[in-house]
Amino acid sequence: MTEPLTLFPGITLRCFPDHRFKHACLSIGLVRPMCREEAALNALLPAVLLRGCRAYPDMRAITLKLDDLYGAGIGTLVRRVGSCQTTGLYASFIEDRFAMAGDRILEPLTAMLGQLLLEPVAENGAFSRDFVESEKKNLIATIEAQLNDKRAYAQEQLLKHMCKGDSYGLPRLGTREDVQAITPESLYAHYRSLLATSRIDICYVGSAPAGQVAALVQPLFAGLSREDLAQTAQLPLCTAEPAELTETMQVNQGKLCMGFTTPITLQAGDHAAMRVMNVVLGGGMTSKLFVNIREKNSLCYSIGSSYHSTRGLLTVSAGIDSHMDGAVRRQILEQLDACCRGDITPQELTAAKEALRTGLQGVMDSPGAIENYFATGAISGLELTPAQEQQALEQVTVERVAAAAKTVKLHTVFFLKGVSQ
Amino acid sequence: MKQYPRLSEQLLWRKLPNGLTVCIAPRPGFQKKLAYFVTDYGAIHTGYRLDGQTLRAPDGVAHFLEHKMFDLPRGEVSAEFAALGAYPNAFTSYDITAYYFSCTENFQRSLRLLLEFVSTPWFTEQSVAKEQGIIGQEIDMTADNADSRVFENLMAAMYEKHPIRTPILGTRESLAQITPQVLTQCHRAFYRPENMILCVVGDVDAAFVLEEAAKLPAGQGAVEKLPFGEEALTCVRSYVEQAMEIAMPTFQLGFKCAPTGKGEDAIRREIIGDLAAEALFGESSGLYTRMYEEGLIDSSFGGGFESVDGMSMLTASGDSDHPLQVRDAILAQVPVLLEQGLREEDLLRMKRSSLGRRIRDLDSFDSVCFRLCAYHFSGFDYFRFPELYEQITAGDVLDFLRENIRPERCCLSVIKPVKED
Repeated sequence: MTEPLTLFPGITLRCFPDHRFKHACLSIGLVRPMCREEAALNALLPAVLLRGCRAYPDMRAITLKLDDLYGAGIGTLVRRVGSCQTTGLYASFIEDRFAMAGDRILEPLTAMLGQLLLEPVAENGAFSRDFVESEKKNLIATIEAQLNDKRAYAQEQLLKHMCKGDSYGLPRLGTREDVQAITPESLYAHYRSLLATSRIDICYVGSAPAGQVAALVQPLFAGLSREDLAQTAQLPLCTAEPAELTETMQVNQGKLCMGFTTPITLQAGDHAAMRVMNVVLGGGMTSKLFVNIREKNSLCYSIGSSYHSTRGLLTVSAGIDSHMDGAVRRQILEQLDACCRGDITPQELTAAKEALRTGLQGVMDSPGAIENYFATGAISGLELTPAQEQQALEQVTVERVAAAAKTVKLHTVFFLKGVSQ
Repeated sequence: MKQYPRLSEQLLWRKLPNGLTVCIAPRPGFQKKLAYFVTDYGAIHTGYRLDGQTLRAPDGVAHFLEHKMFDLPRGEVSAEFAALGAYPNAFTSYDITAYYFSCTENFQRSLRLLLEFVSTPWFTEQSVAKEQGIIGQEIDMTADNADSRVFENLMAAMYEKHPIRTPILGTRESLAQITPQVLTQCHRAFYRPENMILCVVGDVDAAFVLEEAAKLPAGQGAVEKLPFGEEALTCVRSYVEQAMEIAMPTFQLGFKCAPTGKGEDAIRREIIGDLAAEALFGESSGLYTRMYEEGLIDSSFGGGFESVDGMSMLTASGDSDHPLQVRDAILAQVPVLLEQGLREEDLLRMKRSSLGRRIRDLDSFDSVCFRLCAYHFSGFDYFRFPELYEQITAGDVLDFLRENIRPERCCLSVIKPVKED
């Protein structure tokens, strides 16, 4: 990476010059604190921006232009990173050298991205009513479609109860009710306030030199009036009372989700050991959960754990036959207990480290992964390179994994119980 | 090395004495390495002749075999890959079965392991019985998945004889007929080097790959796939629906097309089919904009041309409250397009877009491997795709629409939400 460039106060460009790829990417993210009042607005905004701007007043005009730019894609960027979220736009496009002679892509594409973000179709202090209403419908459909993915649904219910007082318990895209309450006026007012008060992170991965990218991007923001910026520091986790929850649904397979807390986060404690411990316990086909519960005992179809490193949460999720919940629960706790006792074979430790290492090494092999890694890191507060992170993981021992496991405490269980049709 | 200057690519192609085809795409400067070992054998190839004997394997056997290949006499191989920091995986499609791993280190040992486990049949009564339980669970999970159901229902309604009408996983009944003998026979018939390709993408030692691949023994005896039987171009049924626990109705529409056959003409037809889909209902078409603005479709809508050994179709799918209206609007648009014709500049724009997307896909190792293998079995060197675009005319696209997008070729599959009491 070249040094981050501060284009204007609170507006930073990070460039990753790279000649290996056939395509490049450019993202512009407005960074916000995650909160109930904003989540739905921030999720809806980029979708409305992508409906039209002054130069390309409707979707068809946008698509025609993108087709001419060799099928470039501009999509919404809505990310949650710990107690913050990002809303904005993400573009990916082939490198100029693969276009036919004389055609250029980076320059017109950057201009287009700026137009979509900063010159939307709006009048009298409101976005187009048509755009807002139809995108509200789409967003609500997306939120409700989560019902279709039972595993994601169960996980969301778990976090919702576990983190009731914390932003992490909020659905990433807001609730149906919050989306419904949005008006063209309220969204536009929010949009103006976002442009004035948000930290703006811009990220480019591709073959163009940083100076060239800066020269293309800087003019986009020159006319923007700015005020005091909203806070984007990571906040400590705040959990609700522990609970045992069951919901019944007409599905063949039940989903068991267990939520644990740990004081270890990116900001505090032995973060590297906790990441290794998560993979030993439930990351992939060599993990204790997979090998013992699925392979040895055929008690479930799918099982895995996730470490939410910005919040200090560990979740385990399993797809099971609904009458098996007791047995699966017991075994999950037994496997966690084995981690606490340091009952971890050298093979398990090596496999976990190798898996993490492979993941980190793979980061540098695609523009999208590079963008995601560094843009997310800049918000989580962990501005390491994959190589530095890897070095920290290599040094983790069984003792450190066991010590990390001992900090993990069961908090809440959510069981989505299937009833046969 | 064969050069593809328009893509800044080169490939090493070799046909080895044991019959195996090897293809290597060098990727200097990348950490990741990916190897695909693929057989020209998928879920639809249940009928075959081996040593003059006509055999009919139970439905779902190709997928079952894929699961069981990971067993070796000394145990399951996933742990061995994990210890090397490599990720093995596999998938079974209608016409191919692929085994692959990605890694950043220990490529040579991982490659040996891949070649070993895919060419070592090891099936016991006990392990087959256990897998029947696991895949039974997988079938239940697919039964809960609206996207799978909508597609499988469509295939069963469109096709009378072609085995695509049966799900890749088979049924609980067909699984029960699978024995170690059945698996051994299918393995012997189709997992022979002459029926397979080894494709590697990454910065690897090509000589090592060729040397290891050459060690595989050639197949014994003669094998041939049975033809699928003459299939009419009209659909068996024109409409099929099912109720499931989902939030919003989802649909898939299919237009039955003649099989594409093999070789350069097959991929040319595929590109024409894709351009025709783009011209008819692609994001830059007038019809797409109209349907989107009328709320008939949302951003989940999309489609294109798909072909499998012995069948091909144009398909469109998405979430919609009014799938019948979407179907009718698409059918009604064809005469309009035929009347208007396709302007040269519009065709050029669509070609740019389609070409650009294919070029961008080459940054994905998986996409490169998958396409090189799948097109190899169709008798085409995939990296030659840019030159095919030049020959395609507006007349080709319009002829495709005239011939194929007709009511009697059309079938609509809908999944509706279960009605609340």
